Amino acid sequence: MSLDGSWYLCLAAAVFTIGAVGLLVRRNVLVMFMCVELMLNAVNLTLVTFARMLDDIGGQALVFFVLVVAAAEVVVGLGIIVAIFRRRVGATADDLHLLRG
Amino acid sequence: MKALTTLIAMSGFLREYLTVLVFGAAAVAMVGAMLGAGSLLRPKRAQLQKYISYESGVDPVGTGWSQSQIRYYLFGLLFVMFEVETVFIFPWAVRLEDLGLFGLVEMVVFIAILALGLLYAWRKGVLRWM
Amino acid sequence: MPSLVAAAFEAPYLDYAALAPEIVLTGVLLAVLVVDLFVDEDRKAVVAQLAGVGLLASLLPVVFLAVDGDDRSMFSGAYVVDDFALVFKALFLVSGYVVLLMSTDHIEEGDYWKGEYSFLLLSSLLGMVVMSSARDLLTIFVALELLSIPAYMLAGWRKRDLRSNEAALKYYLLGVLSSAVMLYGMSLVFGATGTTVLEDIARELGGDASEPLVALGIFFIVVGFAFKVSAVPFHFWAPDTYEGAPLPVTAFLSVASKAAGFVALLELIFMGFFGQDNVWQPLFWVLAVLTMTVGNLVALRQTNIVRLLAYSSVAQAGYMLVPFAVGGSSDEAAGTAQTAVIVYLLIYAAMNLGAFAIVMTVARRTRSGEISSYGGLFTYAPGLTVLMTIFVFSLAGIPPFGGWFAKFYIFKSAVDAGTGWALALAVVAGVNSVIALFYYAGVAREMWMQPVPGDDRTPIRVPPALGAALGITAVAVMAIGVYPQAFARLGDLAQLAVR
Repeated sequence: MSLDGSWYLCLAAAVFTIGAVGLLVRRNVLVMFMCVELMLNAVNLTLVTFARMLDDIGGQALVFFVLVVAAAEVVVGLGIIVAIFRRRVGATADDLHLLRG
Repeated sequence: MKALTTLIAMSGFLREYLTVLVFGAAAVAMVGAMLGAGSLLRPKRAQLQKYISYESGVDPVGTGWSQSQIRYYLFGLLFVMFEVETVFIFPWAVRLEDLGLFGLVEMVVFIAILALGLLYAWRKGVLRWM
Repeated sequence: MPSLVAAAFEAPYLDYAALAPEIVLTGVLLAVLVVDLFVDEDRKAVVAQLAGVGLLASLLPVVFLAVDGDDRSMFSGAYVVDDFALVFKALFLVSGYVVLLMSTDHIEEGDYWKGEYSFLLLSSLLGMVVMSSARDLLTIFVALELLSIPAYMLAGWRKRDLRSNEAALKYYLLGVLSSAVMLYGMSLVFGATGTTVLEDIARELGGDASEPLVALGIFFIVVGFAFKVSAVPFHFWAPDTYEGAPLPVTAFLSVASKAAGFVALLELIFMGFFGQDNVWQPLFWVLAVLTMTVGNLVALRQTNIVRLLAYSSVAQAGYMLVPFAVGGSSDEAAGTAQTAVIVYLLIYAAMNLGAFAIVMTVARRTRSGEISSYGGLFTYAPGLTVLMTIFVFSLAGIPPFGGWFAKFYIFKSAVDAGTGWALALAVVAGVNSVIALFYYAGVAREMWMQPVPGDDRTPIRVPPALGAALGITAVAVMAIGVYPQAFARLGDLAQLAVR
């Protein structure tokens, strides 16, 4: 049995929403990171689905770039977090209140 | 209500924004339904034991936020970086013969720039396990 | 699956002359990275000098290409070097050079990683230079990440200062959120049109009533960039990041990074999505009104000069969003709107960098960012006071200076469009200009009329690099004020072809 492409798109939309909501409501920086990854992977799923539906390999090429850039982003983000962890234990976004929001 | 329907029917772009609205509403409804159903369905019997984090059946030691040595992170970060770059090398390797000299030169440039990153890490002493 | 059976490979056409600025810049930044590894700690100034010379060197091919005047297109229209691209490449390289000049003493005295600083600054600039030529969703995305990722690190440059850490983390989290939102939009547009090249997207979409998928895609892309240009309600990272980051980095973010966001918006809106104006026009209208009003009203209450400039730059982004909200009605309106945004970006870069250079110079002595520390500046630093007055009055849009001219073009684009919504927007922008006058004039009043705090009148030493940065920006602001036509001509030349 083969699934209609729109189901994959719905799944991607759901994953993207979970990621976006998670990023906005969770306060733990590492969990926020994972939510960003969820969002980016939802994008990848959408791209692959469209590439399949349109029979166009271009969408999959895009996925490669998204993957690599996401890795670079995560490395930089973890670097920033490590810098903060070295100064204090625990990492929640609410601890960051030196600057007036 | 009728006025609203006519407004939406009349104006082109408002209708498009309806999509955005429906999308947003569906998103909120979905998360709300999941969290709401969970809190309605699950029995609530609070016991102190249940709030202890699970650590393979053993009594947990310390808090959940214990810190590892910084060098683990450095190696982890380096690994993530270089491992993901291979995603470009695999498809290139499959079609190497077709891509010819042009493809080879491009990949050499790409790997040379990556190697500079490794050179940087080496000079900064990241690769030494102290 | 037929698409997986590969066609014979043909090497893409590469125009090395057109790519020269990028190639030189890449070579320089790799050289900076390597040289930094092998010079001694006490000779690190060499690295910054190399970076500065390299920036000027990559400006040379831009000038040659401009004199040559041909439009060059590569990768089936995905990468184009035309007047639009060249004007912005020049803007990014020059403002990058000014930021480098501003950083010299700041980084030198701060015991930070000097070599890496230049390297990251150059990487970010490379992303911006690529962005000016990008005419394809994928290229725009890669350019945006190339310019943002080094900027996240630069924002956290004072590694041992918690406020700098916090600035970096906030900037990072909202930056990746906005990239993800923008990417999701791009994936939807790709799905609806089957291509990533803007020209082809425009052809596919045409002026037809938009499908929900396209509308949603455009909405997400615009929201993603609204974060980048710190438009309200997506601005809340900006003041914190600006205050916590080192001052030259703040100047860089508020000018170059913001300009890059607008460059991408110009490309996307006027090349890719022009026919879909019923989707983006109302969105920009709301963003522009909110951004101008909130930015200005909050700026009124600031007592710290950096936060004041941060909110003022939010408000300035609001003015720059106005032409987007009125540019969709006709090709002509699109032309006027583009000219307005381009002229505003050029002038804004000069005056905002200048204002930050003054803030840095004064902060070197007073060690304070409070506006009250500027009390009586005129009595002991008359030159700086006159320059700062020029910069803030220019930001406020008072006639003899460049900023007035930029504002004039914004109003012109709105009035030319002539619709009721456009005129309403012009009125909102006018009211906001008056509100803005209060806080800009407040800074001037402090400098000219208030007593000196603590009666400390030791004169302020201006290091040569900072002096050069001040000179370049001041000359630019004055020149634009005196010969505005030259800049308008630049803005007209640089318009993207609307289709």
